[in-house]
Amino acid sequence: MTRTLKIVLGALAGVVVIGAVAYFFVLPQFVPYVFHGQTIQSNQAAPSVELDGPNGSTVRLTDYEGQVVVLYFGYTFCPDVCPITLSKLDRAMDILGDKAEDVQVIMVSVDPLRDTPEVLEQYMAHFNPDFIGVTGDADAVDRIATVYGVYYEAAEGSEATGYLVNHTATVMIVDKDGYLKLVLPFEGTAEEMAADLGYFLR
Amino acid sequence: MFGSRCSIGLRFTGTMPEYIDRLRCRYWAERRSLNSRKLIWWIGIPGVLLVIGVMAFAIFEPIQVLPRIRLSPGYLLEDQAGQSFTSEDVRGDIVLYTFRYSGCGDECDGLDQTMIDVQRRLGEVDMGDTDFRLVTISFDPATDTTEVLTAEADAFGADGVEWRFATGEEAHLANVVKAGFKVWYEEQEDGSFSFDPTLILVDGWGVIRGEYEYQTLKSDADKIIHHLDILTEEIRNANGAAGLAYEAAHLFLCYP
Repeated sequence: MTRTLKIVLGALAGVVVIGAVAYFFVLPQFVPYVFHGQTIQSNQAAPSVELDGPNGSTVRLTDYEGQVVVLYFGYTFCPDVCPITLSKLDRAMDILGDKAEDVQVIMVSVDPLRDTPEVLEQYMAHFNPDFIGVTGDADAVDRIATVYGVYYEAAEGSEATGYLVNHTATVMIVDKDGYLKLVLPFEGTAEEMAADLGYFLR
Repeated sequence: MFGSRCSIGLRFTGTMPEYIDRLRCRYWAERRSLNSRKLIWWIGIPGVLLVIGVMAFAIFEPIQVLPRIRLSPGYLLEDQAGQSFTSEDVRGDIVLYTFRYSGCGDECDGLDQTMIDVQRRLGEVDMGDTDFRLVTISFDPATDTTEVLTAEADAFGADGVEWRFATGEEAHLANVVKAGFKVWYEEQEDGSFSFDPTLILVDGWGVIRGEYEYQTLKSDADKIIHHLDILTEEIRNANGAAGLAYEAAHLFLCYP
């Protein structure tokens, strides 16, 4: 092997190694993170939430400053969408591991007539003991749901379920500083939720 | 500059081994200096180019985006046909909202004309697969019954699909219009309303992308058509590398 050939082969090997390092380790640092939902860039804090929580407590969004809050609007008689979403969120917490300690999942009931704080406590514990459910009078729930872009209305159900409640099924993420940052669609997976939550937990 | 071992000049002094040692020292010191200069070029030039690129992006705005201001409210209203009309019915569509009441007369002329102009000029925008809707919400449900809304809609040629007139329960309307859209209105003693004439542009995700509250030299219709152009361009380029560029534009606040 001639000296020139050795130099050329060495240079090629160097280019391949440098290229691989740049592609796999350096380039990803400069590519902006792509969320799995719609980001919001409001300079105003997330609309306030003050509703009845477990054990007679009052739950306020501001109680969770320093934590990432996942807000979801659902109800305990919900036959499909709510259990699926809460199960995905529970799976997302598993994926996050210890980091999940800095995440608080809150479900606001859009069925305040049937969902008392006690009913919500039992229901949420079924998915994850750290999840909490909140409710309040119809006016308070309507105000909060409305400003979070959530529509809901009672609809005909079956004898077993009683009336149903049609509602917006998006999941909202409020960052550690209390700003509403992300709206995730119902179709999102647990892995995608965990990835997005992980970004806000950095 | 070459370190303590090279501080003596290269003039031949001392023994031959000492002189050779000084020459070697000088050689490696110059190599190190050369490498440092190369390193500065290799790191410095790309760094400067990167900074210039970012500044150019921010100044010349090759990609423009509309800000994602905040979530538009969820609502359950009733339209001019007496049908239930919800925020979910227009999810995925771009919607232009305005807020008025049937008794407002001349005060609403500007708002109404803007809605008509935007609808008339929609052909100027390449909407692609995205639907565009106009929604006029009345905050006077006591007067603006289904019959009144139907008459109003007919007068403006609102077909109930592309352009809907709607109203709802008083308390819910307050949550939707005042708390959600942040449009102020107040009933006066004589039954009329004081309000801020406002148009609001919402994207298919239900995120407010434009608020038009103050008349400027450029008409609201001109601004809205321009903004629709920007918004639909962003929707068309939402995926892949172009999508990343648009996200970067949001970071650098390339707002029109």
